Amino acid sequence: VQGIAQALYEEVSYDPDTGQLMTGSLLDYAVPRAEHVPSIRSLFQQTPSPTNPIGVKGIGESGSIAAPPCMVHAVLDALSPFGIKHLDMPMTPPRIWSAIQNAHAGAGR
Amino acid sequence: MIPASFDYIRATSLAHAIGLLQTDPDGSKLVAGGHTLIPTLKLRLASPALLIDIGGISELKGIEVADRVRIGALTTHAELLASEPLRKLLPIFYQAADLIADPQVRNRGTIGGSLANADPAADWPAVAIALHAELELAGPAGRRHVAAKDFFVDIMTTALGHDEVLVAIHIPYPNTGAQFRYRKIRHPASGYAVVGVAVALRLQDGLVSEAAIGITGATGRAFAADSASAHLNGKPLSSQNIANAALLACEQAECLSDGYASADYRKHLLRTEIIRALTSLTNA
Repeated sequence: VQGIAQALYEEVSYDPDTGQLMTGSLLDYAVPRAEHVPSIRSLFQQTPSPTNPIGVKGIGESGSIAAPPCMVHAVLDALSPFGIKHLDMPMTPPRIWSAIQNAHAGAGR
Repeated sequence: MIPASFDYIRATSLAHAIGLLQTDPDGSKLVAGGHTLIPTLKLRLASPALLIDIGGISELKGIEVADRVRIGALTTHAELLASEPLRKLLPIFYQAADLIADPQVRNRGTIGGSLANADPAADWPAVAIALHAELELAGPAGRRHVAAKDFFVDIMTTALGHDEVLVAIHIPYPNTGAQFRYRKIRHPASGYAVVGVAVALRLQDGLVSEAAIGITGATGRAFAADSASAHLNGKPLSSQNIANAALLACEQAECLSDGYASADYRKHLLRTEIIRALTSLTNA
C-alpha cells in the first residue's frame, strides 16, 4: 500500500515562490485509504539464504520498493500508443491527462 | 494547531442566536457541526471572538417530506443519507451524501453548514441549485427566502447577511417522472469535489420537459448550467444533444486551477461528468 501510494497518491509540494509547504495537512496530502487500494493477496516466495550459518536475512520495505516501478511500467505500457515514455510520480489522473494532451499536441494533431 | 482564544455561547433559540450575532456581527461565528470551522480555527485562518453554537435549536432540525420538502439546516449528511422518505422522493440526497467525506464527518457535518460556508468544492450547493431549492434565512428584520442559484456569490461568500442564520432548505415537490443524478470526482486526499454535477431531469414522450444542472468544484462558486439545461429542453436525450449541452456548460465555466488539477483538466472533467450524469438517465 505504501508503494501504491508513492506511485499514485502521495506528494509533498512547495510553493515555488515562497517555499511554503502546500501539502501540510491530510486535506491536501493523499495518504491512501481503503477506497484507494485494491484487495491484496499475499503469496510467499521462499529463497534460501546461504550466506550465513543460520540462513537468516534482514528485510525492510520490500513490498514498497517493488510496487512503484511495477506500477509505473504498467501505466507507461498502457500509454505507449501515445508515445509517452516518462511520467513523474505520483501518476495522478490530472498528470496522465496532461501527458496525453501534450502527446497529442506534439503529434501535431 | 491550537486555536486563538474565543468565547462560546450555546444559543437557546433562533432569536437568541440572531441577537448575539447582532451584538458583534464581524467578530462572531455560528457553529453547528464544526467540521469546517474548527479546523479553520486550529489553522488560525479565522479567529472570531465569539462562537455561537446553534446545535441545540430545534427549529433548525429535521427532514419533512410531505406536500413540500423541508430540510432543517442542522440536518447532518448522515441523516440525509439514511432518510428513506427522502431517498424515495429525491434520491439525489442519498447519492450526494454517500460521496461526502467519510462516516465520521457525515455524522457531524450539516447541510446548512456546507451551504452557508460555500466552499467552491462542496457538494450540497450543486444539489440545491439543481433542485431549485430555496434557502430560508432569518435575521433581525425577519425571514426571507433566497433561491439557491442566487445564494452562492463567490468563493466562501453567500447572500447570507452577517446577522442572519440559515434556517432551512425548501425544495419544490418534484413532478412525477423526475429523475436525479449526482456525480463527482473526489479529490484523493480531502474527498471534496474536484468537479461535481447535480442533474434533475424529466422526460415526457421521449423529450426533455424539465432540466436543471448544478455544478460545483469547477469554478469559484456553485452555479446553474442554464445554457446546457436550455439546450436540452424540448429535445430527445440523444448522445449528440448531451455532448452539446456539456460543451455549453463548459463555455459558461471559468475553471479554477490548483496544485492538484489545472483549469483545463477541470474543464475536461466537467464535460465528462455532465455527459456521464445525463447518459445515466437515458436508460433509467
